[in-house]
Parts: sequence; structure tokens; C-alpha cells
Amino acid sequence: MFSPNLQSRLIQIWAFVIKNWIMTRRNVFSFFEILFWPVVGFFSIGLLTDFLSLNPNTAGFILVGIISMSVIQVCQIDVAEALLYDLWAKSMKHIFIAPVHPFQLILGSWLIGVIRSFIVFLLLSIFSNFAFGYDFFRPGLLPIGLFLLGLFLTSASVGITVCILVLVFGYKAEVAAWSLSSLMSLVCGIYYPISILPSPLPEIARAIPLTYFLEYFRSFYGFEGGFRNPLAWGFGLATMYLILEAFLFKVVLHRARRTGLLLKLSE
Amino acid sequence: MALAIKAEGIFKTYRSGWRGRRQKEALKGINLHIEKGEIFGIMGPNGAGKTTLLSILSTLLLPDRGKVQVFGIDSLRNGHQIRERVNICSGNANFLWSLTVRENLHFYGMLYGLTGRRREEKVESLIDLFELNEYRDISFDQLSTGMKQRLSLAKSLVNDPEILFLDEPTVGLDPDVAARIREMILSIHKEKGITVLLTTHNMKEAEHLCDRIAFLKEGEILATGNAQALKRMVRIGDVVKVEFKGSIVEEELLRAEGVINFSISDNLCEIIVDEGEKRLGPLVAMISQGGAQIRKVTLGQTDLEDVFTEFAKQTDSDMGLRD
Repeated sequence: MFSPNLQSRLIQIWAFVIKNWIMTRRNVFSFFEILFWPVVGFFSIGLLTDFLSLNPNTAGFILVGIISMSVIQVCQIDVAEALLYDLWAKSMKHIFIAPVHPFQLILGSWLIGVIRSFIVFLLLSIFSNFAFGYDFFRPGLLPIGLFLLGLFLTSASVGITVCILVLVFGYKAEVAAWSLSSLMSLVCGIYYPISILPSPLPEIARAIPLTYFLEYFRSFYGFEGGFRNPLAWGFGLATMYLILEAFLFKVVLHRARRTGLLLKLSE
Repeated sequence: MALAIKAEGIFKTYRSGWRGRRQKEALKGINLHIEKGEIFGIMGPNGAGKTTLLSILSTLLLPDRGKVQVFGIDSLRNGHQIRERVNICSGNANFLWSLTVRENLHFYGMLYGLTGRRREEKVESLIDLFELNEYRDISFDQLSTGMKQRLSLAKSLVNDPEILFLDEPTVGLDPDVAARIREMILSIHKEKGITVLLTTHNMKEAEHLCDRIAFLKEGEILATGNAQALKRMVRIGDVVKVEFKGSIVEEELLRAEGVINFSISDNLCEIIVDEGEKRLGPLVAMISQGGAQIRKVTLGQTDLEDVFTEFAKQTDSDMGLRD
């Protein structure tokens, strides 16, 4: 079906899917990261909207935000774990002495992130329907597919940023795996529209693809933001960042080979 | 003989601190030619630059200056191409802690593009070769140090490398386990004919395994050669001790072939020779023919440890040595 060379390339990508899958399966605390926190976070916010007696549209606005954030957090951590597991295991040099391209490393880890965060999305959407009467599937399959693709690409971008920081700063950068997505929740309009943000935060929000994907999806529920073609903006920005990060990843990997950081992170 | 590795003028300085102001020169113009199929050892004290050199040759580290060719290919420009043909095993092995022996080997097999039955057969053959069958389903973090090292060696052969880089492969192991690992390295080399580049602190290991050895100190190679040649270079030689009665003619000793130095006190003559086994017979015959009555003869042979000590305490300019 595939040429031997293509098969080899594909199996190299699959290696990272398998690695993340086994590492997660064997660690009970991964369950917390993937399922427990998103569910707890979702219900906390959902119940808060009940308590505040928000109208259904406003509650829906917030629920879209919290579900999107959960998807991004789960997916981006998988991408970041492309390097984080080997950082913690001090086995970094074994990855980079193998004939693996950075895109294979990222793509494999992203694929498992997509699978896991899709499960989180399904689960939270179902909870949202049953617990708070909010129908997440109302926009239809294509808009949901496009929205999710946008979230997955944003996650890839965040995860790659963490990997780049790890290759520059080593252990000091691991905190970025958790803090970058939290920072996004502040500026991208997860719990509130970006119009209420003080300057310069709205300008920063406009530079983040997630802002546009959220606006696109919320538009199906009657929330019209100020952007024209939010999907085009979202995908355009996400693609631009991914291209930029692919280049940066190569640069910092080269730098890590030059400074000896790869060796230092394996000792 | 064809070269596996050709390194010329390799310089490496590590920089740290604010704007890289703290600097440590790790390598100062290394030239190295390693032939295909040989086991080449790099020895030297701590901080000599052994791991730095090995890392540069294995594409993990880039030098500041210099050229490295592996199988005639510029490895600084075509690292990816080289990585398909080499592999590395380090002392104090570290792998993903949750993966079992089998899963680790499969994971690295996949990274080298091995698919389906080919990977399955390779992993099983490595598990057999390194006697890991009993531990195949044990996770890495539960293995003993010796087993971790066996896994590291097994992993380093997963892509059938043409060059195997071994960075202190027996460090921290019990002597019997270290000996077993050494035998495994020799057996792999004999069976597959691969080129092996080894760094070690262990003199016996170097003497036992290596065809040639380079002594590295403060980022420079002081000498290269086989164990015998290195012993000759430092001129510390073997010691022939002769207990005798009567007298020994000193002029004859001075003229005797292979004698580096000698001392005579009371009834004991200590003669330093280049090669003890070769010179012992003629020396005993000469002393005996000179009229002395020989009571006891002992031969103390220099080992690589003595050579190492000698290299470690002297500078190359003191010794007039250069590769």
C-alpha cells in the first residue's frame, strides 16, 4: 500500500503516538490531567452560571469557552510532551540521535492529543446538554469540525512553543506547558468578550487564532463579534504561526546542538 | 584501510553565564582518523573532553570549528543522513521510565523506521542477544543498573549501526556485570564487524577492547596508538628485577638492546626495558655470562593504568608527543 520509505516515515510518526499513549496509560495521574480537571472545571463554571441565574445565551457563551479551553489544554500538553517526557526521563539525546525530523515528533504527539481532546470535547458536550441544557451540536457537523480543527491547530501552536522554550531554556521552561494556555484564557475571550479587555489586551487577543475560532462558533448561538471572516483569520494566523514555529524549532534545535543543551538535558 | 571517521581541527568551547562570558575550552584542535571495523578508545581524565568529542562525532553536538566526515560524508551538514547509520549507548542509561524493555526497543525501532515483522524480529533477536527475556515486560524504572545497561546496548543496535558510539558503557556497574558487557561488545564487534568508538576511564577495559587508543587531556590528543605503542611512547617500560650475588657489568647493561634505565643497589638490580617478555631472556643470559649468580628474577609489566597516570601528570610538550 505504501512504499517502504513512506512506511518508515509514517512509523516514525506513529512511534510518538505510541509513546504518549503508553506513558499516559501507565500513570494514574494522567487521568486527572486529561479527564478530572476538565470535568471539574466544566461543572464548576456551569454551576456558577446557574447560581448567577445567567440567561441561557450568556451561560452558553461561557460553556463554549470552558469546553474550548479544556480541549486546548489536553491537546497542547500532548504536543509539549513530545519533549517533556524525554526531558524528565533524561533521554533527550536518544531522540535526537535518531533520524527523526522535528515535524514527525510534533505530528505524532499532536495526533494522540487530537484523539484525547476529541474525547474530552464529546464528553463535555454531552454533559453540557444533560446538565445545563446547552446543545453543543446545534451548529451542525461541518461548523463543529472546523471549530475543532481550529482548536487543534491552536493547541499544536501552543505545544510547539513549549517545545521551543524547552530547547532554549531546558528544565526552566517546563512550567510553560501549563501557563501558556492559562494565559490564553485571560485574553482570548473564554469567559467574556474581548471587547471588555483593557488595552492592549484586545490587540493581543486579535493576534491569537483561538479568539477567532471562538467567535466563529459562538456566532451560531447569536453572538456576533466585530470580526469579518473569523474562520479565515483564525486559520490564516494558525497556519502562519505553525510555519514560523517549524522554522524556529529547527533554529533552536540547531542551537541546542551547538550549545550542548541536548547533552545537558540527558545527564 | 577505508576510514569510518575523519575529524580535522575540531575546536569546541562551552559558553555559559550572562552573554556567554564564562567559557570553557573543551576541545583544542582535535585530529582523528578512525578506520572501518576497528574498536577505537578515547581515554583521559575527567573533563578531558572525551564525551564532547564523542558527541560531536555522533552528530549530537556541533563543533565551533573543524571538519567531521563519517564514511566520507560531511556530518556537520548531513547529520540526518549519518544518524541513520550510527547509534549510541551511554553509561548511566536513561530511557522512558514507564516503557518496558520490549516497548522501549520497539519505540526506538520505530524511530529508525523499522516496520512490522522486521521490527518484531529485530527486537526479539536483541532481547535474546542481551539475555533480557526474563525482563522483557518489566518497566525501565524497575530494572537493575546492569539490566538498564544491557537495554541501552540493545537499543544501540536496533538499527544495525555501522558505527557504534559507546560513552563509558560500563561506568557504575559491578565488576562481573561490566565484564559481561565487555564480552558482549567484543562479540557484537566480532560478529557484525562494526566500527566502535568508545570512551572509558577503565584502563583494563581499553586494553581489553580497543585496537587503538587516543589519550585526551585538556582537550588535546596527547598520543594515539595501540596499548603496546603507548607504553613505548611514555618510556616507563616494564621492570625486570634481578636478585643476584657477585657483580654486574654496568656498561653491558647500558649497551643491551631495549634497556631504558637501570639501577643497582646491594644485591638487587632493577632494569627498565621497553618490552619485558622480549628482553627478559637475553638480559638474564647476559648477567649470568658476566659472572653474577642469579637468585631470583621477577618481571613487572607496565599496564595501561601506568601509562594513563603518566599521561595525566605530564603535558604533551614535556613528553614531546603528538598524534
